[in-house]
Amino acid sequence: MLRRLSVVVLVLFACHTSARRHENPPAQRIVSLLPSFTELLFAIGAGDRVVGRTQWCDYPPAALSIPSVGDGLPPNIEAVMARRPDLVVLYNAGPNVTAAKQLERAGIQTVLIDLNRLEDLGPAARTLGRLTGREEQAESLAIALDSLAGRPPPPATTSLAFVVWDNPPIIIGHGSYLDQLATQAGARNVFGDIAAPSAQVSLETIVARDPQWIAVLSDSTVPPAFAKRREWRAVRAVRAGHFLLLPGSLFGRPGPRSGNAIQQLRARLAR
Amino acid sequence: MKWTLLVILAVLALALSVVLGPAAVPLGELLRSDIVWNLRAPRALLAFLVGGSLGVAGAGLQALVRNPLADPFLLGLSGGAGLGAVIAIALHLSGPWALPIAAFIGALAALGLVYRLGLIGGASLDPRILLLGGVAIGAFAAAITTAIVSLADAAELRNAFLWLWGGLSGASWDSVLLVALYAPIPLVVLLAASRPLDLLALGEEPAQYLGADVERVKRRVYLAASLLTAAAVAVSGVIGFIGLVVPHIARLTWGHRHRSLLPAAFLGGGALLAFADTLARTVVAPRELPVGVVTALIGVPVFAFLLKRWTIA
Repeated sequence: MLRRLSVVVLVLFACHTSARRHENPPAQRIVSLLPSFTELLFAIGAGDRVVGRTQWCDYPPAALSIPSVGDGLPPNIEAVMARRPDLVVLYNAGPNVTAAKQLERAGIQTVLIDLNRLEDLGPAARTLGRLTGREEQAESLAIALDSLAGRPPPPATTSLAFVVWDNPPIIIGHGSYLDQLATQAGARNVFGDIAAPSAQVSLETIVARDPQWIAVLSDSTVPPAFAKRREWRAVRAVRAGHFLLLPGSLFGRPGPRSGNAIQQLRARLAR
Repeated sequence: MKWTLLVILAVLALALSVVLGPAAVPLGELLRSDIVWNLRAPRALLAFLVGGSLGVAGAGLQALVRNPLADPFLLGLSGGAGLGAVIAIALHLSGPWALPIAAFIGALAALGLVYRLGLIGGASLDPRILLLGGVAIGAFAAAITTAIVSLADAAELRNAFLWLWGGLSGASWDSVLLVALYAPIPLVVLLAASRPLDLLALGEEPAQYLGADVERVKRRVYLAASLLTAAAVAVSGVIGFIGLVVPHIARLTWGHRHRSLLPAAFLGGGALLAFADTLARTVVAPRELPVGVVTALIGVPVFAFLLKRWTIA
């Protein structure tokens, strides 16, 4: 009896400590392992506490002066620990789960956050607000982001296909953030019927679905090399040179600038 | 009878791959459709030429190294081609043909190195040394490839593997023309070596006694088969199983005489790849399967069935 009681007490105690851990004082030294998280942290006014970022974190410009801990895929644990963080923010995916466990074992608080689509932005902002003690700023940002995600899309006036890779052709399906971006900007993704975030398709399917635009994430100002390939010229939008070249920093990631990205895409489609 | 059946199978595979596809093209408009003329027809022909080339290259190499496990990619060519492709992407080489050309050069470099290893210490293309050299060079190239992929910045590098693992999405009349002009040369060289290849099956010494110029035959077969494979990998990536399974199927049905074995491997390989590509394009439409998955899924059961019949008989 006594033994059983002591087990209960132990369990209660364990619960109590784990609950207390969530009430940690606001994080002071944060390593952010996804560009979107870095942008969110700056947007809620916790940017000055970010002490490590990935090499892809290029916005806001102030982020560039923070030391990089590498590409973050998967995270380099030693490089992260060398920044002596009290909080590491990771994107919730396979290799990162293992990395988070390793960091926790070393006594560093971690948080794994889902961030795949527009509707993940609000919750992500709130989580980061809670962990940094910037609840108020995070809440007002989250409300704006939630309303962006919940907004009924405008009627589609044009159509596009997002081409991620040309050989084999990989396109963006309904499950992706880019599909939401297009829909909110008033363009129908011709592959919106494919549930997956991305999929390999035949070139003739692209020809048959005849999008008005071919959208490509690219920092370049010239159409991608495949535009010159003979088989791709069977696609009407390719022949017409209707390429949307979208810089990855603004368009390639959900973040506090998603509203801006939608506006810019809409403006470019109207041109 | 066997030949008629094989030719019918080949024609059927080609016809199906022109008629069937994820986009609905009414039968009546087949001849006027842009999709059929500019995409399906060149893709069907390229599949046939690549499949046939891989079949013949596999048959030739299996005879040369006297090892039933030999496959056109075993001798390091896929590793070399992959390295070439990844370097092209990492260096941001642009241009519509940058990737195929870089892959071709990579495959040739691997071929040259393995060939050189095969001659080390007067080994004169000893099959064992060729196999070991091929595996070693392939592993070395793969290691460098992985190092580049994990160190370089280009986000597109991840996709280099997709390209490398094969597919006929890059088919156009340009690539068909290229292969149609290039492939006949090594194909004729291999076919001309039919008789000495038959003798080689008896072992190098007996072949020598029976009048075959063993050194020359080995050199020619090795270079011709490798050059065929290098072209195939440049236009369609690494498509597995055709070069391994088709020669065996052909051998089980046509016997060991290379004069009939090689043409049968060409027609069989062509038919199998054209058919597999049709399935890859249509079964999960609008999505597409990597064609290498389909060649393995068809090739291996057929192979197992024949192997069973063969061992029982």
